[in-house]
Amino acid sequence: MGMEQVVLLPAIPAAIFVVLALFSPLLPRRGDWLAVVGMAVVVVLALAVAFHFQDFFGHGEFDPSGENARAFEWLNLSNGLFQIDLSTYVDAITVVMLLVVSIVALMVMIYSVGYMRGEARYGWYFGALSFFTASMLLLVTAGNLMVLYFAWEAVGLASFLLIGFYWERRSAAEAAKKAFITTRIGDVGLLIGIILLWREAGTFDIQQIIEFAEGGGFDQRYLTVAMLFLFMGAVGKSAQFPLHVWLPDAMEGPTPVSALIHAATMVVAGVYLVARMLPVFDVVLVARDVVLYTGLITAFMAATMGLVASDIKRVLAYSTVSQLGFMFVALGLGSPTAAMFHLFTHAFFKALLFLGSGSVIHATHQQEIEQLGGLWRKQPLTTWTFVIGSLALAGVIPLAGFWSKDEILHAANHNLPVFVTLAVTAGLTAIYTTRLVLLTFFGEPRNHHAYEHAHESPPIMTLPLLVLAALAAVAGFVIYEGVGQALGFAGGIGQLIFAHEPEVFHFDRDLATFALAVSLGGIGIGLVYWWGTAERATRARGWAPELHALLVNRYYFDDLYQSLINYVVLGAGSVIAVFDKRVVNETGVDGGAQTVGWFGLRLKFLQTGRIPNYALAMAGGIVTLSLVAFYTS
Amino acid sequence: MLTTFLLLPLAGVLMIAFLPRTREHEAKWIALFVSALACALSLAIFVRFDRDAAGYQFVDRFEWIRAADAGFSVQYIVGVDGLSAPLVLLLGVLSLAAVLVSFNVTFRAREYFAWLLVLETAVAGVFTSLDLIQFFLFWELELLPMYLLISVWGSGRREYSAMKFLLYTISGSALMLVGFLVLGLAAGTFDIEQLTAQPPSDTLLPLQAVFWFVIAAFLVKLPIVPLHTWLPDAHTDAPTAVSVMLAGVLLKMGGYGILRIALPVLPEQAHDARVLLAALAAISVFYGAVLTLRQRDLKRLIAYSSVSHMGYVLLGVAAMGSVALSGAALQMVTHGLITGLLFIMVGLIYDRAHTREIAELSGLMHQMPLIGAATVVAGLAALGLPGLAGFVAEITVFLGALEAHPAATILAVFGVVLAAGYVLWAVQRVFMGARNERWSALPDFDAWWERAAVAGMLVLVLVVGVYPRVLSDVVAQGVAPLAAMLAGPAA
Repeated sequence: MGMEQVVLLPAIPAAIFVVLALFSPLLPRRGDWLAVVGMAVVVVLALAVAFHFQDFFGHGEFDPSGENARAFEWLNLSNGLFQIDLSTYVDAITVVMLLVVSIVALMVMIYSVGYMRGEARYGWYFGALSFFTASMLLLVTAGNLMVLYFAWEAVGLASFLLIGFYWERRSAAEAAKKAFITTRIGDVGLLIGIILLWREAGTFDIQQIIEFAEGGGFDQRYLTVAMLFLFMGAVGKSAQFPLHVWLPDAMEGPTPVSALIHAATMVVAGVYLVARMLPVFDVVLVARDVVLYTGLITAFMAATMGLVASDIKRVLAYSTVSQLGFMFVALGLGSPTAAMFHLFTHAFFKALLFLGSGSVIHATHQQEIEQLGGLWRKQPLTTWTFVIGSLALAGVIPLAGFWSKDEILHAANHNLPVFVTLAVTAGLTAIYTTRLVLLTFFGEPRNHHAYEHAHESPPIMTLPLLVLAALAAVAGFVIYEGVGQALGFAGGIGQLIFAHEPEVFHFDRDLATFALAVSLGGIGIGLVYWWGTAERATRARGWAPELHALLVNRYYFDDLYQSLINYVVLGAGSVIAVFDKRVVNETGVDGGAQTVGWFGLRLKFLQTGRIPNYALAMAGGIVTLSLVAFYTS
Repeated sequence: MLTTFLLLPLAGVLMIAFLPRTREHEAKWIALFVSALACALSLAIFVRFDRDAAGYQFVDRFEWIRAADAGFSVQYIVGVDGLSAPLVLLLGVLSLAAVLVSFNVTFRAREYFAWLLVLETAVAGVFTSLDLIQFFLFWELELLPMYLLISVWGSGRREYSAMKFLLYTISGSALMLVGFLVLGLAAGTFDIEQLTAQPPSDTLLPLQAVFWFVIAAFLVKLPIVPLHTWLPDAHTDAPTAVSVMLAGVLLKMGGYGILRIALPVLPEQAHDARVLLAALAAISVFYGAVLTLRQRDLKRLIAYSSVSHMGYVLLGVAAMGSVALSGAALQMVTHGLITGLLFIMVGLIYDRAHTREIAELSGLMHQMPLIGAATVVAGLAALGLPGLAGFVAEITVFLGALEAHPAATILAVFGVVLAAGYVLWAVQRVFMGARNERWSALPDFDAWWERAAVAGMLVLVLVVGVYPRVLSDVVAQGVAPLAAMLAGPAA
């Protein structure tokens, strides 16, 4: 498959979406097979793109630039002064994203066949999932910022539709709205950033903008502002502080959706965007530092909230926010390799964890971890794959998360405060992960009704768990040159994705030992604390009630925003509404009309209908005018 | 061709006039037939419009009042360029849709449909006239059917609203007439093309004043804060079809007037006023959007959102570059389609539930999945989602206006967050949520004419959103000479 045909990748699921949206009730099984088969084809094509890419890439030439295929002119105003081409672009970052998106999407769709069985709107579910995949594939193949924005909004819409899938439920409808509006604040920033870049560079083409920036075409301060606006989009989409509030609520959507959209793919769009534009961020280091510290704050804060969350999916959601923070830290440190590598491994183990939690919810109809426990006897496959995913998340050697987290720590090696914060956060990650696993799968069952009800999920759901567990175990090895070469590439992921120089992987024994010790220490703390009986689960609450309350209430960010909306936005609305009604309308408009009416009423008494009165007035007028004329001439 | 387009609805009026009272219910079929023909004709004009040729096309003219010894003459001239051709098409489409959604009107149906057709002729005259006096006559002609349609077939405080609409517009047009007369008498012609080529200089009043006289009428019509309060009242109390026409095409008369007359005839004065216009635009966008958030009635909600969205038109105008002007022209068409569709949807909901209070409605998606889906799509288009029509226009305005008015533009871009807020809030309250027993008997689409009107509009919203060049190439033809003219005083 040539690079020009890469546009097929989004086109296939897009076509399937149209078919399912219009005709799904007419199709056998509501057309779920169509979505699954279509996705399988996309996986094959994505692999073909990867291998084609490696052909053109693997001759010892480490040219990070990809291929730019021009499609067609979408808008052309003012004789080409302003035109938007729909073009595609493929480089190493794109290839990684294509593989992640298509593989996870396929797994999620297969799993959904079991998980969503019997749901109302079953066909619509697969249609919406296909729409999401199409948009996401378009996003990562976009060669120009306008197309990227187009796809960016489309994935936002898909997320809205799928979070609100159970729209009968008020909480789901609220969560969908919250997600859309919160991310839209970021999207507006992205749009302004794009407009600002276009204004100076005169193009939307990403590579041309990068060249323009590297050639010093932008004023430094101007570019800083533009890149910060652009970064707002990433903050919204990737649920970073301070726009992180929507992601935990987004768990109202069906669990496979959380796995695909709100863990593995859409939420990493922000990471992708910054990685894609990193050469421009490198020109304005202030903006890059903002990326770094935003990621750092988010990583730590989300991990602490994950410690106390009691809903299995919310724990995973906080974990996702936190891990996305890690990726931004890597980007802020100027290492796209580490960021994209962590994105790659995280996609597999986090999708695995979400699908595993879905298997638990499917079996017990219960998502409060304090109501679970002991499930390992009933759900062995789910349990052990979940354990693999958790260890990968905690960063235990040799699972995938260990290698990628290590890369990020390595990148932070020279910045002590950042390094320490990351290490602490990594420890917290291990603690909350252990808590999650222990409370859900081990110990004594705390809710016997849920436990009696539990059973292992059908093979169509456990198969994707096994595949993802295998990937979560081995995906980290792509860091090794030998593994990369064995796959046919020039080397490991460091040779594939880099900003300026290929990154060569050195296994730093001290660092790795330290990181492993942190992980194992965290797991140890977790084991000591939560192993055993039911009453331990709630012990954390008594330990430091104020801190616990702060964390459970998510640092009161949601309350703060709600009061901002209630008092500032709607308050301004009320003030303006009163102003509009009283001042503009009643005083200005009706008042004006009444004044005219009042004069009309008074003046009508002059119309007496008696000739002498009029004659007198006429005479008076003539005299007055004569006098005026006499004295002014 | 254009003259036929103008006269066709009047022919329908004539046919309806000869309809015996006993066959009153057939008036709607005559109106449908005539408006369908007019729609086809407007489509033909749009398709056959030559995108590469400059100037006006399909021109008809004859001298109407010759007063050469008094130094002027009044002519009948019609013609379209890239600015008016899309609006003519929009008018054809929305008039057809308006007739369709009126199919359940039975009260004095003959008069109702006759006035609807008169309205179409009047607006068509505004969009095609190339003579100031003729333009003014059609502008005033539009008031009569509007006044009657609102005050007779409306609801609520319909007489207050109709009178308010009338007084507002007449106050504006009185100023406009003064401006036109000053211009025409100074130049010795009312021909817009000639006035554009040689802007008059030696006038009775200062040209800056003339500019504000002329544009005042257009700003009322657009409408711009603080001249907007007639709009929510008129919309709320008007019947559905009239709301569709009002939001869809009548507001565009304001924007069109600015682009056709105020800017090209008085480019220097317009250029001097651009900062003030941009400020008014940004205020309208924000003021309108914030007010929209507070609305409890679906129709008022959409009406206020129009105030906000028409602010984008003025922002594009105020930037005066070719991209921004194209954006303004595009926004008029896309807003006409989207808001027309939204008013149709609200009308359908009101016909069924007999309320428009957002607080009373809930879970309607259970009873009307298709109406719900269509409303959601229209709402998404209104909040500027890419792939739907609204985005194309908004992005063009933003890109074009940033250079000239960075602060106003960035403020206006944040207006789209508020748009997402009010659209999604309304959609969530009205359509989502648990099944509400109170509404369990409501039907989904149940008449062919409802489906036809909604489907047609949806297709257009999608087509323009996915492939905007069908529209933008025509608009570019009309904007090019205007932009060149405005670049003059700037240089």
